[in-house]
Amino acid sequence: MAFEALISSILLWFGIYSILSLSLNVEYGYGGIPNFGKALAVLVGAFTAGAIVNRILIAMYSIEGPTITQRSGFMKSTVDSIIASNPAYGIGLLIFTLLLAGVVGAVIGALYILPSAKLQSDYLAITLLAIAEIMFMIAYYNTDLIGGYYGAPVPDVLAFIPGEIREWAFVVLILFLTLLTYLFLERTLNSPYGRLLRAMREDPVALQFSGKDIMWVRIKTLAFSTAIASMAGVLYSFYAGNVVGVVNLFARVNWTFFPFLMVLLGGMSNNRGVLAGVFSFVVIWRLLDGYKHEIAELLHLPFDVNWLQYIIFGALMIGILYYKPEGILREKPIETEPIKELKTKHSEKA
Amino acid sequence: MGVLEGAVIYANLLTLLAIGLTLTYITTSVPNFAQGSFAIFSSYIAYVIYKLFNFSPYFSIPFAVLFGGFIGVITYLLVLKPLIKREASILILMIATLAWDLILLGMIGIFSESLSKYFGAYISRFIFPYYLDFKIAGVQGILFSSTLAIALSLGFLMFLLYKTKFGIAMRASMENPSLAEIMGINVETTRLFSWFLSGAFAGLAGALLPFKQEIVQATGQIIIVSIFAASIVGGLSSIYGAIFGGYLVGLSESLITFWLSKIFGTSVLVYSKAVSLAILVITLLIIPGGLVTIKWRRYLWRSKR
Repeated sequence: MAFEALISSILLWFGIYSILSLSLNVEYGYGGIPNFGKALAVLVGAFTAGAIVNRILIAMYSIEGPTITQRSGFMKSTVDSIIASNPAYGIGLLIFTLLLAGVVGAVIGALYILPSAKLQSDYLAITLLAIAEIMFMIAYYNTDLIGGYYGAPVPDVLAFIPGEIREWAFVVLILFLTLLTYLFLERTLNSPYGRLLRAMREDPVALQFSGKDIMWVRIKTLAFSTAIASMAGVLYSFYAGNVVGVVNLFARVNWTFFPFLMVLLGGMSNNRGVLAGVFSFVVIWRLLDGYKHEIAELLHLPFDVNWLQYIIFGALMIGILYYKPEGILREKPIETEPIKELKTKHSEKA
Repeated sequence: MGVLEGAVIYANLLTLLAIGLTLTYITTSVPNFAQGSFAIFSSYIAYVIYKLFNFSPYFSIPFAVLFGGFIGVITYLLVLKPLIKREASILILMIATLAWDLILLGMIGIFSESLSKYFGAYISRFIFPYYLDFKIAGVQGILFSSTLAIALSLGFLMFLLYKTKFGIAMRASMENPSLAEIMGINVETTRLFSWFLSGAFAGLAGALLPFKQEIVQATGQIIIVSIFAASIVGGLSSIYGAIFGGYLVGLSESLITFWLSKIFGTSVLVYSKAVSLAILVITLLIIPGGLVTIKWRRYLWRSKR
């Protein structure tokens, strides 16, 4: 594998997984909501791009075809040629899809926690996992919805950029959105809302005593974080040019387990730690993936290296839980004005 | 295979798996996400033993059961016990079982693909064809054998829990581990044994499942959702709940989708798992503790007056 392709894939996945893990950190790291169905948020993104926006475009250009997969394919070639000559169209389509995914994500996120908003830790996690898994099964086996196992092609929103640098343009675009997400979340979580979330994680009963409705906080949090995470689904679908990378049966590993691994590796409720965790994970993962044929040949493995990857990452997760449960970077107290004042006074004394 | 027949077989096996899940939940209070993979790994073991000896697939059941029990014990000793000693929270333990499930999936993949090379045949995806099964009065034997399996397992479990001293110790450590420890019961042993039993039940279900449906490496990941639905609908902390829930979810998953497909056409068949989701959500909204927490006696008493 070419070195350049390896670097671009590391940066690209760093961006996508950062958005996903940062939003998981809002739910799990700060809010203590064990969202074992994180993959659903990514599905929402892919669904918005592949099922909603595709259908709008198909209707706009009145394209006919037997299945959604084929109709999307015809539509893609039409729309790609328009974008190639009109960059504003592509950028507009991207922004429209991201915003729509945000709205759909907020609604789905709120609905998704609703049946389990009153449940406790383990029941909550199981229910969220079950809902997300079943949504994936429906999306995968029902080929009319979003193409199912045939997938559905989506337009190339950067078709106006020449082919050889388009990959890097995507990398820059995704990293820019990641930076925005990071800055936005850093501000949001240092606000009273962030402290509210931490309080809910530490002691929900005490929070109820101070007049906060736990159920409402959970619904708001899930709506907020699902809206952010659905961006990752949109971006990955547009990058891959098809939703089939999201809608498959290994979604739980790729879109739920890996983000949990990254958050726990980096350090819960510490956004910088999470970024460090994502980076370390993505480097290992892409190296293993990029050189998997070489590894298989070198060790004479009679099987796919992907299986070995699963064992390595599973063992890594258990190792982190056992040896370093606080992650690479520890959680830090929020720097409010009084704390800053206290700190300066303290340093003046010393 | 008739629809009702298939539904009963599926419900039998699902109940077996749900009992295993509940058993470890009661003793260790960890919802085990790897339960499905326990069963599927055992299915592959059963298939390989069948391939090696070319005898009836029923011959491999004892091996699959022992293997399932072995994975259960390994899970507890290697993954959970060290974390429990560090007083990890339930969520951390759950994440650990998710990770363990991923490791098992990797092992299943390596095992099946390596053996495919060894046998020179594709064994990553398999089913026990109907002609391998015996027949009684024109009905496939798996209907009887799966019913027998669940009856024997339940009989064994009830005998163990209510008629033996070890069973009483087990129940005591389920109810109140610290009090049981004071009374001189080794809680570790009872926990270890419950993991063995849970794995063994999963192994038994895994050995019989290929008669009913095709097994692929990721089947465990799919079936775990139904197992959890069954256990939660019944009530996660009651073995009777697992039996109720297993049959309710197992039967309705097949039967309701079948009836719906008669009305709306066969495109409904892909929604079979949505039925268990609907049952799960309704249960959580109305009776979050599960079916066993309904006080049936109170309703009966009221209706009498």
